[in-house]
Amino acid sequence: MSYQLTIEPLGQTVDIAEGQSILDAALRAGIYLPHACGHGLCATCKVQVLDGEVEHGEASSFALMDFEREEGKCLACCASAQGDVVIEAEIEEDPDAENLPVRDYPASVSRIERLTPTIKAVWLRLDAPEGMCFQAGQYVNLALPEGIGSRAFSIASAPQAGGEIELNIRIVPGGRGTGYVHERLAVGDRLSVSGPYGRFFVKKSADLPVIFMAGGSGLSSPRAMILDLLAEGFAKPITLVYGQRNREELYYHDEFLALEQRHANFRYVPALSHEPEGSDWRGFRGFVHEAARECFGNDFRGHKAYLCGPPLMIDSCIDTLMQGRLFERDIYTEKFISAADAQQVRSPLFKAI
Amino acid sequence: MDMKSANRKLSLKDKYRLFTRDLGWEPSYRTREEIFPYVQYEGIKVHDWDKWEDPFRLTMDAYWKYQAEKERKFYAIIDAHAQNNGHLHITDARYLSALKIFLQAISPGEFCAHKGFARVGREFPGVGTQVACQMQAIDEIRHAQTQIHALSNYNRFYNGFHAFAEQRDRIWYTSVARSFFDDAMSAGPFEFMIAIGFSFEYVLTNLLFVPFMSGAAYNGDMATVTFGFSAQSDEARHMTLGLECIKFMLEQDPDNLPIVQRWIDKWFWRGFRVLGLVSTMMDYMLPKRVMSWREAWNIYGVENGGALFKDLARYGIRPPKGWNDAEEAVDHMSHQLMLGLYQWSFGTAFHAWIPSDEDMDWLAKKYPETFDRYYRPRWMHIRKLAAAGTPFKNYGLAKLCQCCQLPVVFTEPGDPTLSCHRERVHQGEKYHFCSDHCQALFENEPEKYVQAWLPMPQLFQDLQGDLTAWMDWVFLRDGEDNGDYADSLDRRNFEAWRAMATSNQ
Repeated sequence: MSYQLTIEPLGQTVDIAEGQSILDAALRAGIYLPHACGHGLCATCKVQVLDGEVEHGEASSFALMDFEREEGKCLACCASAQGDVVIEAEIEEDPDAENLPVRDYPASVSRIERLTPTIKAVWLRLDAPEGMCFQAGQYVNLALPEGIGSRAFSIASAPQAGGEIELNIRIVPGGRGTGYVHERLAVGDRLSVSGPYGRFFVKKSADLPVIFMAGGSGLSSPRAMILDLLAEGFAKPITLVYGQRNREELYYHDEFLALEQRHANFRYVPALSHEPEGSDWRGFRGFVHEAARECFGNDFRGHKAYLCGPPLMIDSCIDTLMQGRLFERDIYTEKFISAADAQQVRSPLFKAI
Repeated sequence: MDMKSANRKLSLKDKYRLFTRDLGWEPSYRTREEIFPYVQYEGIKVHDWDKWEDPFRLTMDAYWKYQAEKERKFYAIIDAHAQNNGHLHITDARYLSALKIFLQAISPGEFCAHKGFARVGREFPGVGTQVACQMQAIDEIRHAQTQIHALSNYNRFYNGFHAFAEQRDRIWYTSVARSFFDDAMSAGPFEFMIAIGFSFEYVLTNLLFVPFMSGAAYNGDMATVTFGFSAQSDEARHMTLGLECIKFMLEQDPDNLPIVQRWIDKWFWRGFRVLGLVSTMMDYMLPKRVMSWREAWNIYGVENGGALFKDLARYGIRPPKGWNDAEEAVDHMSHQLMLGLYQWSFGTAFHAWIPSDEDMDWLAKKYPETFDRYYRPRWMHIRKLAAAGTPFKNYGLAKLCQCCQLPVVFTEPGDPTLSCHRERVHQGEKYHFCSDHCQALFENEPEKYVQAWLPMPQLFQDLQGDLTAWMDWVFLRDGEDNGDYADSLDRRNFEAWRAMATSNQ
């Protein structure tokens, strides 16, 4: 049984299945609705129901108050349609969003490589001959067998090679999903991925110099974005400040050195925070934010910055960027919100960072 | 796949742009400096007004719709409250003291906020800012009106409500709130936004409204609860305006940082002193208490304020200068002020009283480090005097702080047994202060604070110290509005009427 979902102010109508969330139906039709936690806690996806009946599902009574339910509000990530439904969402038109439809892609594992002691690269060849259309920086959900469920991974390869996508996966101690990928997954295995998801992509229309700050296993999105920009002939300066603990963990180092040789507008700044004293490392020693501050002389004005990495790194980088006078509207981070985050006392000063 | 539909609605963003930004005219025959003369002199540098974000894209037509609905709900409940003798459903008549202070000191502040926002809405050049200030100006006058209407029901039955407007201007303790708002309204537009939009609406509003409204709910006062809900539903918008203003200033130019920091220091401390009155309501005046002042501070000051200053640190802002002294004072201020209000209760248009044993046990539990050690002994002494027929009345007039205008009743940081008093001679005149922070504020703007109208010196200057003449002048009816709750008319009436309402005698 399927119903019709109309999304205002766009006036677009899409199919929605019984039990399917409004958010899922919209995303799969390529219509982006703001969302974050995906399970009814953060209220980012609150929309107005103009017509029709919805079931509120798992929406938290704190994220969606009783009076809001009476006013016809619902959380798109949990609400399902009970018939034909019309909703109104506060949709910001982002000139850089391509609003690509989300699809399921059956795929085979075509290659697996060990990048560092803790990170493996996995290549998936998609059955669909045209491959997946995605924007560099977006992520996919990888469905894993044996009831593990699905896990989100950023795509590490450029969209120009859409038939085969590369994922860089760090093993999480005790994690079932990453444990499976590291210990059991083999070339030739069949898997299904869905995507593309996420709003983390380069604001190309701004046409400003870009800074990427990456650390830990957060290199995937920035790498895809850089490969994409260089392939497209983006003319403004591109800087990658990339941090790891030591040389052994610094994967794709040689590739970036080579890119720097080939492209005059690409600058590569690797930083090692825990490289043993006296090793032959000649690059920067310290954290990503420190390397960035030194490299830009504490002045980041007139840039767009894209941050990807562990929370502490992101936090220090935002501090550093703001001290160098780059503010919220020019800083982009890939954000994953967990149930624990939603309960934290946060001031309303910042929204996107 | 072309899914564009023909009858596309205007998005909220487009609608908002048409209603606001597009109304911004480019002046042709006058300069911008002539039209907006006040926006420069505070030293705040603005390079691009279009960077002002409007986080609430509320257009005027939608605004009227929301507010009209709130008014309808509010007045329905106020009517029901009046018809059902709601005044007899409160816990007991001590609760009225909290209402009287609120009406005399805080509601007129809402009206000042209205005037202030109407003014700065005119003085800011940015259209987004103008619209947001205009809406807040209308909100604030609505808050003042609904509060006065809600509390006018009590004026029909009890003393102390009848002359709040005159008392706001003339009586001594209301001058604390009055001077706070006068100081803000006579500042430049950016400082006003920090004072009211940031300090009052964000940092302090929860400490004022949440305890006060929950206090009303705990004590059976549905009229006050309703105006609280109605006002609180606007606060999210107000807070956002204040926060947006502070972000805007800090992002526009690095030279703005020290100016903003100085205002944050100033307005945090001034707000904290105004809240001294609230601390006595919470700890002493509510017959059924919600939480202690200390507990409220821990939630709304330490936790929420802490989270905010952690985020502001990204801009280089540090927590307000007075923060640590405030933290220490929280365990003392309600007791020190209530002792003051009791001994000067001949001059207050509300009643004070000696806390009962049960009250004191509660206070001891909530203030384990301070109450039994410093304040119970003083209340016990005062109780002994009252029992002997010689109640402790202090007919000496309090020395007022030139800055916050509270009587200098507080103690030294680090020593709760030593009275804190600062003095300074400025151009041959001696001025008094309650704390280092108030003195520092004076020293930064002496030209402003030497003009402060202080009720105690004025009593001598205008009325030669004649207390009876002063009572007439402040509309205080001796023996009715003032004095100890224990033998007050309010108490006798409330108890008699309640007995009539709940028994058959």
